[in-house]
Amino acid sequence: MVGVQERLDDSTLIAQSLSEPESFAALFDRHADEIHRYAARRLGAELAEDVTGEVFLVAFRGRARYDRARPDARPWLYGIATKVVAQHRRAERRRTKAMARVSPERPVGFDERSADRVSAELLQPRLAMALTKLSAAERDLLLLVAWADLTYEDAALALGVPVGTVRSRLHRLRAKVRRALGGIDPFASEEPARG
Amino acid sequence: MDDEIRMFAEGRPSAPPYPSEARERARAELLREAAGRGRFRLPRVGWQAAAAFGVTVALVGGVAFTLSGTLSGRGGESGPATRVASVVSTFDTPGELAPKPGQFVLVESETMFTSETVGETVSRHLYRTKRKLWRSADGSADGLLMIEGLAPKPWPGTTELPADAKNWQGTRWSVLASCRQTRMDYAILGELPTEPAAIRERLYAQNQVGEGKDLEVDGQVFRAVGDLFRETYLPKAQRDAIFEAALTIPGVQRADGVADAAGRQGMALGRVSHGRLDQFIFVPDTHIYLGERTTVVDAAEAEAPVGSVLALTAESASVVDRLPDAPDADRDDSCTPQSAEPTATSTSAPIPTEAVTEAATEATTGAPDPVPTKTGAVPAETGPVATPTKAPEKIKPTPIPTITKTPIPSQG
Repeated sequence: MVGVQERLDDSTLIAQSLSEPESFAALFDRHADEIHRYAARRLGAELAEDVTGEVFLVAFRGRARYDRARPDARPWLYGIATKVVAQHRRAERRRTKAMARVSPERPVGFDERSADRVSAELLQPRLAMALTKLSAAERDLLLLVAWADLTYEDAALALGVPVGTVRSRLHRLRAKVRRALGGIDPFASEEPARG
Repeated sequence: MDDEIRMFAEGRPSAPPYPSEARERARAELLREAAGRGRFRLPRVGWQAAAAFGVTVALVGGVAFTLSGTLSGRGGESGPATRVASVVSTFDTPGELAPKPGQFVLVESETMFTSETVGETVSRHLYRTKRKLWRSADGSADGLLMIEGLAPKPWPGTTELPADAKNWQGTRWSVLASCRQTRMDYAILGELPTEPAAIRERLYAQNQVGEGKDLEVDGQVFRAVGDLFRETYLPKAQRDAIFEAALTIPGVQRADGVADAAGRQGMALGRVSHGRLDQFIFVPDTHIYLGERTTVVDAAEAEAPVGSVLALTAESASVVDRLPDAPDADRDDSCTPQSAEPTATSTSAPIPTEAVTEAATEATTGAPDPVPTKTGAVPAETGPVATPTKAPEKIKPTPIPTITKTPIPSQG
């Protein structure tokens, strides 16, 4: 399972793939699941399959431009994933809206815990609703940080913007989200959200 | 990580595993490209052919489950759809219950809700289930939930059932763990305020939203009211208070003679949202919850013909001494602290970022905590009304209203 190539860092692997193109498959093996997971969260299971394949094809074609100073290729791959996901904005919007609209039939209530493990493909309606309030750029950033677990620095790399921009953009979008969300608990405790 | 971002991190939708065939296909495509034989487009069989794998927005009040085809292998519990197509034949007019500590409240229901599968295309139908939910009267024991799939119905205005409609088959049993975060039992609901104003204040405090008007704070509060009634049994003092509080929510309208899924007529509290009139139906005098009904009032917004029924349920509560045997019931880890999914796969590189560390430690409680807390919860001094006032009276059920079938407006 763990071959010799697994021990090379991404940067070395990508460099190697310039002379041995098929070694790029090792990068796929390493990161495809993670990219797929991110795509599935944003677009749903079926589009995620296409998107993941596309991300690695785009990455392969652009591998000569990879910044060799970065040992971890994840920010680069997430950057590509963000662009590929963007081609499906319409599908994403529809999905997010559908999740937000669930609320009429779906109580955000008590026994959801039991539902979590079986229908957790869904985002909570209120979070989905808040997502629809963000611009595309804000949504990209928020979800790279919240769902892909990128640091601000990595998110900046992925989006090709200075880290200062990431910080100020996050600041703005947090305010938007805060306005949109207000209290989270339906009925429980007195504080608006548990921290 | 900041709070707002953490909420999204904790609430991230779970992702399905990368199917191995798709993974192999993508990898092979990459290798073909690497071998210079590229410029193939990936086969796009996925979403166009089968929207059935999209987000299923199939939800039930209270406890939601997506029943899947995989059920059929489980202990011979499932049956063909034709066999489970029966309809609950009788529902009594419910009287007052007096559950005692150690006993269980059993809520039996028949439900119909919408299922929407959203991918590049949208497929919809109405799924139906029969449910039995046992809950400890005082929260001292775990409960149990049974869901049986009933024959689904086409989306109003259409005649075809989408492929994913057959997902709702068979019977599924699940444990419902009882602990502080999950309790919605008779005893803890009896600690809610009995003053409508106090209930109202609390509902609004918990559903406070900011400037975003379209977030419909009133709608949230109205739905929260439904959450308190659906598949629970409330002491009368709290029932009355919540009902009175709900009447004061802007946009809420009262209607008489609204029938539930069992044909029982009651008084309804309704509110229009997203082109749909959502109604909760009650026994007029006692405010015992009968069920809910959602009717389309705006065809464009609801994407179904005006007058069609998108949700219809009926429920009935009783008291039992013990749970049935359910050896195959699914476990419920809600009350055990660690249930979050791993944030990284074992094969991918470790992700040593501060964000991950925080998400991993904080990600255990994504769901809202719905329990009425001690803060501000005044135990009902008088205690719940516990005397059965009248014997259950049988009412002849009428058939479930047929769905109007009119051509669906053409859509792009």
